[in-house]
Amino acid sequence: MALYTRHEPDLRRFIRSLIPTATDTADVLQQTALVIWRKFDQYDPATPFMKWACVISRFEALAYRRKIARDRLVFREDILDLIGREGEEELELRSQEHAALEQCLKKLSEKQRHFLLHAYTPGVKTKDLAAAAGSTSAAFYMRLKRLRHQLQSCIEKKLTPS
Amino acid sequence: MNSFTNLSSSDQKLIDSYTEGTISSDDFAALESRLAEDADFRAAMRSYLALDDNLARLAESQAEENPWAEQGHQKSALKIWPIALAACVAFALGLALMNLRTTPEAPQEIAGIESKAEGFAVIKHLISAEWPEGKSFREGDALSAETLHLESGTASIQFFSGATMTIEGPTEISLISAWEATCREGSVRMLVPPAARGFKLHSPYTEIIDLGTEFGLQVRDGEGHVEVFDGEIALTHRDEDEKLLTKGGALRLAQDGPSSESTSGQIAYPDSNHLGSLTQRRLTSFQNWKTHRATLADDPRLLGYYTFEQEINVGLLPNLISPTDANSNGAIILAEPVDGRWPGLKPALEFRRPGARVRVNIPGKFPAFTFMAWVRVDSLSHQYSALFMGDGYEDGEPHWQIRNDGRLMLSIMVDQDKRHPYYPKKSRHHHIYLSPPVWDISQSGQWMHLASVYDPATELVSHFVDGAEVSTEKIEPVFMVKNLQIGNGEIGNWSQPFRTDPTFAIRNLNGRIDELAIFKTALAKEEIARIFEASQH
Repeated sequence: MALYTRHEPDLRRFIRSLIPTATDTADVLQQTALVIWRKFDQYDPATPFMKWACVISRFEALAYRRKIARDRLVFREDILDLIGREGEEELELRSQEHAALEQCLKKLSEKQRHFLLHAYTPGVKTKDLAAAAGSTSAAFYMRLKRLRHQLQSCIEKKLTPS
Repeated sequence: MNSFTNLSSSDQKLIDSYTEGTISSDDFAALESRLAEDADFRAAMRSYLALDDNLARLAESQAEENPWAEQGHQKSALKIWPIALAACVAFALGLALMNLRTTPEAPQEIAGIESKAEGFAVIKHLISAEWPEGKSFREGDALSAETLHLESGTASIQFFSGATMTIEGPTEISLISAWEATCREGSVRMLVPPAARGFKLHSPYTEIIDLGTEFGLQVRDGEGHVEVFDGEIALTHRDEDEKLLTKGGALRLAQDGPSSESTSGQIAYPDSNHLGSLTQRRLTSFQNWKTHRATLADDPRLLGYYTFEQEINVGLLPNLISPTDANSNGAIILAEPVDGRWPGLKPALEFRRPGARVRVNIPGKFPAFTFMAWVRVDSLSHQYSALFMGDGYEDGEPHWQIRNDGRLMLSIMVDQDKRHPYYPKKSRHHHIYLSPPVWDISQSGQWMHLASVYDPATELVSHFVDGAEVSTEKIEPVFMVKNLQIGNGEIGNWSQPFRTDPTFAIRNLNGRIDELAIFKTALAKEEIARIFEASQH
């Protein structure tokens, strides 16, 4: 399972692109881990592990979709399929982005970093945070959005060969 | 690079409301059509979600380093740090998967029954399904290469390829792999998503290859009928050439003759939705449970009865005993409301995060204990996973938990100031009563009813799973405790701020609880079986 452990963050990001919420992503990831564990003897070490794991997680996302499609909004299967297939081509990009993110976070001020991570604390509602900070939701969202863009631009700059 | 920074604000809004779960159905339709038509937009959404997930993970790891930071928990910093440290260590170890990595390759046996963690399909739903005598299946059971004889009722089987098969009894099906099955007799509906294209279904004289679709097959006394509801299938009957059959197409497959066109809509294939009957069954069992809850709440032997209903969304877990006692109401810390045994009707609490717990106070001295709970274990990530624990583990206090080998354990502190009579170096004077393993990874995500009884009067400790006794052990005189108590206690975790060893200090249950009852007497076997029956979902 060392292989799995190493690739868990990649797999998680991949599943996240198929599933609406972070909580549901965790569920699908766990299901995927189970299936990988069960079927590990069928894995051909000659093929990249992530390729194999992505196929399994796409099936799990589909199964999940069917499970909840009646009471919640989940993408049509053809769209899930499309996003998943294209996402598989971007795995390398994703892990480069992740590495760059850490450096880019360091470029933010202490205050900005604190604000950003606070906004992402599990269970914290943006509305409550905005109220606590004495700003309107709209202003809060704008700030969050600006920081995300700032980070992403930094990430993209790092990944573009100069 | 197709970055989300170039998204128009209306596109960004669509994505935001989608990830927040506040999207309207009109906007959702708009989002889907944007995604379907525009590859750049899909790429931008993926880049956005990746950043979003990366930031959430970072924030989560920081929050877990200090689990009480936002709860205003009244503990001194000195007492908090060992657990915070432990939480940090556990997190670094990849908490959710600890169990997966430490589980031995060969799954262990449960009380003599072979583990079912192998397979390539699972039973997704069962509705009034009857099997030949001696056979029984539960939803979530894993299936491998085997033949199923469904006598009556409906079963739906999910293959790991993504294909779903719904069968209606009487039907005989042989599963060959995640991609292949045979129907010798009976009635089948297949739903094959694009990912499972190529799924093969055989009948005695025909082979059907599914090209991504939904279709029905019926075989009665050798004669077959097939009908495509959506998409396309490729079909080879006897020695005929392969035929393509598309939406609305229907064929009669003669036993000793050619295939011939027939009219669609004439045969009732199994209903893949089950929606009507499933909902009905769920509603009925939920109503039955509510009746049971009202009766049980009046039971004077109860010390605590927690049913995890709507109030948990605001952090409260009332004790339903009468007369009520506000002290014994639970305070929820970091545990999250999630779907329970009746999704959509009643929630449960999940104790996945290391700091997750419910605190209660149950004062008094008692002659016996019965603990009973509906529990869904996702994994046994820690050496011990807590169900219900007395805080300090002082004289007469109980610890009810599951060991990482799947054994249910109940222990009572006999004398906290003395060393163990047999293992003085290892522990204090107490005794652990263990059941045989009752859980392994194949039961991950399934609800089970657990009960344990400590009865000084009969000098016995017994464990129960789904209403049936799995073990009973004599209380030796040297371990007998007649003065039982709880005081401060916890559901789903253990407050033990002085331990620094993470193997012992972290005991949050990686799973869910949606009902817990604690009695001050020993309930009889029959009564536990009856309560299990009455509270089933």
